[in-house]
Amino acid sequence: MSNATSSSETGPHIPTFLEICAGWHRTAENVDKFNRLLTTDAKIAQTPKELIWTLNKAKLYRFVPQVPEAERKKVPLLMVFAIMNRPHVLDLRPGHSYAEYMLKQGYDLYLLDWGAPGPEDRNVTFDDYTLEYLPRVIRKLKKVSGSDEFSMLGWCLGALISTMYAALRSEDGLKNLILLTAPLDFADKTAGGFTRWSSNPAFKASTIVEKLGNVPGDMIDNGAKMLKPIENYFGSYTMLWDNLDNPNAVESWHAMNTWVRDTIPMAGGAYEQLINDFYKDNRLMEGTMKLRGETVDLQQLKANVLNVIAEADHITPPCQSERVMDLIGSQDKEIFRVRGGHIGIMAGRGAEKNTWPHIDAWLAERSD
Amino acid sequence: MTQSNGEFNPFDPTGMLKGMRDSNMEAWAKMMVEYVNTDAYAESTGAMLDAWLTTSSPFRKVMEKSVNQAMEQLNLPTRDDVTRIAERLTNIEMRLDDLDAKLDELPQACGNPSSEAT
Repeated sequence: MSNATSSSETGPHIPTFLEICAGWHRTAENVDKFNRLLTTDAKIAQTPKELIWTLNKAKLYRFVPQVPEAERKKVPLLMVFAIMNRPHVLDLRPGHSYAEYMLKQGYDLYLLDWGAPGPEDRNVTFDDYTLEYLPRVIRKLKKVSGSDEFSMLGWCLGALISTMYAALRSEDGLKNLILLTAPLDFADKTAGGFTRWSSNPAFKASTIVEKLGNVPGDMIDNGAKMLKPIENYFGSYTMLWDNLDNPNAVESWHAMNTWVRDTIPMAGGAYEQLINDFYKDNRLMEGTMKLRGETVDLQQLKANVLNVIAEADHITPPCQSERVMDLIGSQDKEIFRVRGGHIGIMAGRGAEKNTWPHIDAWLAERSD
Repeated sequence: MTQSNGEFNPFDPTGMLKGMRDSNMEAWAKMMVEYVNTDAYAESTGAMLDAWLTTSSPFRKVMEKSVNQAMEQLNLPTRDDVTRIAERLTNIEMRLDDLDAKLDELPQACGNPSSEAT
């Protein structure tokens, strides 16, 4: 507010009337700027890409390569994000975009956007995502890239879908699988708020789906925010207020807030399955998960696996991602632990110095 | 935003508020995280959600029924009609996608890969 300085010798500086006026003027300007940042959208997902396939709401994009064909990695990479958020966090803003980074490393890069389910999609389940949509996406990717082999990067529920796909269709050409904060093992019912809430008998996913159809995006968003209520409802905004004079911090906050605000519903069938089959019954780890009548046997997963775990993840606590490594049939598998949270490890400031180069180094060795 | 040098300045109210905020926020955050991770919170949230869904459901049903009746009277499709059509469209889209893929494979199957559709 003021430039007042104080020292123990002189006591607090008493501002002049003009200084007080200037301070209030600056505060008023900052309030205006703060409000504008809260209510407007930043330009995110700006890396050039072309739409190459659609089915229902799902879209497959191919990013325009930034490296000459001769220098490109031979094995294309498909990025599969969660089903209840937009995938733009993988291409957050120019200069700080995972997609942009991987393009510069020479990858032929594809992004699957599941889209926002409508009322007609209330019965869509993980069976559909894993065995109806994903195989068709991969068929298209193989055709466009001309490669029979591919790598897949799944994040959050996208990692869950990718893991099940990799186990069920192990002969489909998947060479490398990168799992980011993958919620797979729900044996520990006290690990993380989501597990604790959803395993409580008072929480009835079936009632939610029966009454609402698809689960509204705001409900999911608020559920996630309630895991750390003070940080999410207050801390994020106080941090912005404190950093209004820092253009980098403001730009970063604005881009992230734009992505966070863009909530989408989750298909009712998938939500019910997530809570009942995964969170409550832990079927994937127990070996009793069936999709379209086929049992998901993790031993059949043979692709090379890099399992990236966020040590401070409050949405997918590390214990939910660790045990899968003992169950999969892959010979080449590695766990990479990163200091950070569920989103921060890929979209935070440290991502381009830590997580991205490690993924690139691991994948580059296995992409030619 | 405001100067915060850890000393009390009566002429900087924003700074005073910030100081108070910073000293309390971390404690509140820890306390709230512990609270939302209790069984009592899980049970009360589940019960509240259930109660809200149960009490709001009859109103929603009445509203849906009356809108559906009005639409039928006006010879207009209801939400359910549109939803059913959209579901069928998705199935058709899947079949088209499979047909498209089969057509792409056809030139290769006929031994003429050069004419493969792009």
